[in-house]
Amino acid sequence: MTAWPVGDQQWVLSPLVLYGALENTFAKRSLSTRWDPEHSNDIFQWILQRLQITEEEALHLGDLFVKYGYIYPLLEPKNLTLKTDGSLYRFQTPYFWPAQSWPADDTDYAIYLAKKNIKRKGILEEYEKEHYNMLNQKINYKWDFVIMQAKEQYKAGKERKKADRYALDCQERAYWLVNRTPPGMLDVLEYGLDRVTDPNENKKKNIAFYRREIMYYQQAIMKTRVKSSVSLGGLVKYSEQFLSNDPILSGCLPSNPWITDDADFWDLNAKLVEVPTRMRVERWAFNFNELIRDPKGRQNFQIFLRKEFSGENLSFWEACEDLKYGDQSKVKEKAEEIYKLFLAPGARRWINIDGTTMGITVKGLQHPHRYVLDAAQTHIYMLMKKDSYGRYLKSPVYKEMLAKAVVPQETVKKKFHFPVWPPSAPLQPQPHHPEAAGGRGQSQRSRHDRGHHTGHEQAGSQEPAQEGTSQVGSEPRREKTSRGWC
Amino acid sequence: MVKEECKALLDALNKVTACYRHMVLTIGGTSDSQNLREELKKTRQKAQELAVANRNKLTTVLKDKTVSKEDKAEFERLWVIFSTCLEILEIDMRRALELGHEFPLNVPKKHLIQTGMSGGTSGVAARAMSVQNMKYEADHNIDVVDLKDLENEINQVGEMMYEMEMKVNVPQWTVEAKQDPGAELKSTISVGASSIGMISVEENKSFCDISKVLAGIIFTAVLIIAIVLAVCVVKLS
Repeated sequence: MTAWPVGDQQWVLSPLVLYGALENTFAKRSLSTRWDPEHSNDIFQWILQRLQITEEEALHLGDLFVKYGYIYPLLEPKNLTLKTDGSLYRFQTPYFWPAQSWPADDTDYAIYLAKKNIKRKGILEEYEKEHYNMLNQKINYKWDFVIMQAKEQYKAGKERKKADRYALDCQERAYWLVNRTPPGMLDVLEYGLDRVTDPNENKKKNIAFYRREIMYYQQAIMKTRVKSSVSLGGLVKYSEQFLSNDPILSGCLPSNPWITDDADFWDLNAKLVEVPTRMRVERWAFNFNELIRDPKGRQNFQIFLRKEFSGENLSFWEACEDLKYGDQSKVKEKAEEIYKLFLAPGARRWINIDGTTMGITVKGLQHPHRYVLDAAQTHIYMLMKKDSYGRYLKSPVYKEMLAKAVVPQETVKKKFHFPVWPPSAPLQPQPHHPEAAGGRGQSQRSRHDRGHHTGHEQAGSQEPAQEGTSQVGSEPRREKTSRGWC
Repeated sequence: MVKEECKALLDALNKVTACYRHMVLTIGGTSDSQNLREELKKTRQKAQELAVANRNKLTTVLKDKTVSKEDKAEFERLWVIFSTCLEILEIDMRRALELGHEFPLNVPKKHLIQTGMSGGTSGVAARAMSVQNMKYEADHNIDVVDLKDLENEINQVGEMMYEMEMKVNVPQWTVEAKQDPGAELKSTISVGASSIGMISVEENKSFCDISKVLAGIIFTAVLIIAIVLAVCVVKLS
């Protein structure tokens, strides 16, 4: 019998240990009256003495015994804990021990429920009724057998003494309380996902195993590596740059729709909104990817490129994206069209790519698939990034857009929805958003005299939370105090 | 009559399986003893005989091409019951083997678990063997000797099940249960050998009567109250 890993407590319960542990008890008690239930104190004391551990540990161990069904309480069957007030417990019969790792079968459970139905004349608990109906559907083909067997087991049980019958009932009930826990009770036998491989299994180190290992390590050597200082530096830079744009960390204007039920934020940041928000336009200046992934940014960029007579680049890029993410059935047609429009010699909107790339693309177009234009697309992307992007950022088109961009006011919270929410404290210093500060000044209303009513919120802005009238939307969000709201 | 014979055999096997389960439950507990081990052995052997008889009968019937469709469906149902019964028997036998290994009875320091059971299982065994009283005649080291036999028998049962699967092609899931959920409640009130069908009809009838009587009582009560109220209204106005 193998050791049996137990849930996430990782406590290995080997039957041998258990038997050895329990053996002592019976050696002592085999001569006394043999059917007395044990008192919890006795169990506790015995564990303490036998295993020489601390009291806390003994209590915990005893508790685990009860939870896993080795011992069951007599008075409160559903309360599977080891109480220290001397309440009575009984040992479970070895057939029902979980250490055997025999699966608790659905058929057996169905038989048990049917038997209980007979005994209680139809009175089952809610969750048992549900299980009963579910099993009836699930193993319907066995149902006749279930009923036959349940009746027979019930009748066979009558051949025993009444006290034994009662003990047997208790045992079965305890077993099924552990193996089919009622809702609300802790399911101790839940051992997580069924994994394909067993981590505790000893793998035989034969040739196949070593061959696989060698292959794995060879591939690992060939992977490209970057120094962690470099990658971490990149990560830090990215985080710093995007911190102000993150709606969770830095709050968002006008307000977080999930909190204030005000969907303005989404309307203002729609894909092709007339006037984008300032944050969004500034984000386009971070890197080229941001610009090209934002539909509004692409639109603006296209206007600029048209002025420079290189609009076909962006159009080609967009067409390639459409090919990549579009319908599979239309792949062939789309590829043909793109070729005719952009790549063929003398095409209407001929793009400028170098010879090798053109060669590869044309060859690939004989058997078109989604990614056939990948090389050309990358080339154009790099071209736009290195060349046009820089000029775009300095161009009047961009600057105009930046000037036009709107900074939404923070919404005034109309109702006291969540008085327990502490105000979302801001995370950046004010000068970054002079408009925000101005807006906020206007939106401070119905605020009782508190004395921190000035332009900059400090760490003391946690006060409104405690007074219970916090208005989440109307608190400025751009200072470096931590957010109380979770 | 073939159907009745099959059913009778199956009922017998069912009974023996149930008794065997009862006995395996007591291994390792306070009512474990040499007698129990002997009972287990006898019950097990009887179960095997019944299983073989059942199998032979059912296979001959199922291989017979001349049975009608309803009959065939009925026999398939019996077959499913039989194979499930055999599965349960095999599981119990395996568990008995493991438990038998762990709780030998002849060692000086017996470690039986205090399960609180005091009586024996002789009544259950007698029921299984269909005798009035059990006679115990085995050696006193039956608990160890028997385990070897048990292993062999488990293998036998396993082989039998395998053969069954191979020879008879009955898809289990196509069988529909004849009994509805809750059918076990209907026929357990009287203990005896009366047929199940009759009892369920009787029970139904009596239940209907009770509900009818109740309905009548409630109706008359409401009627009386209505009359009283009407009289009061008339009197007051």
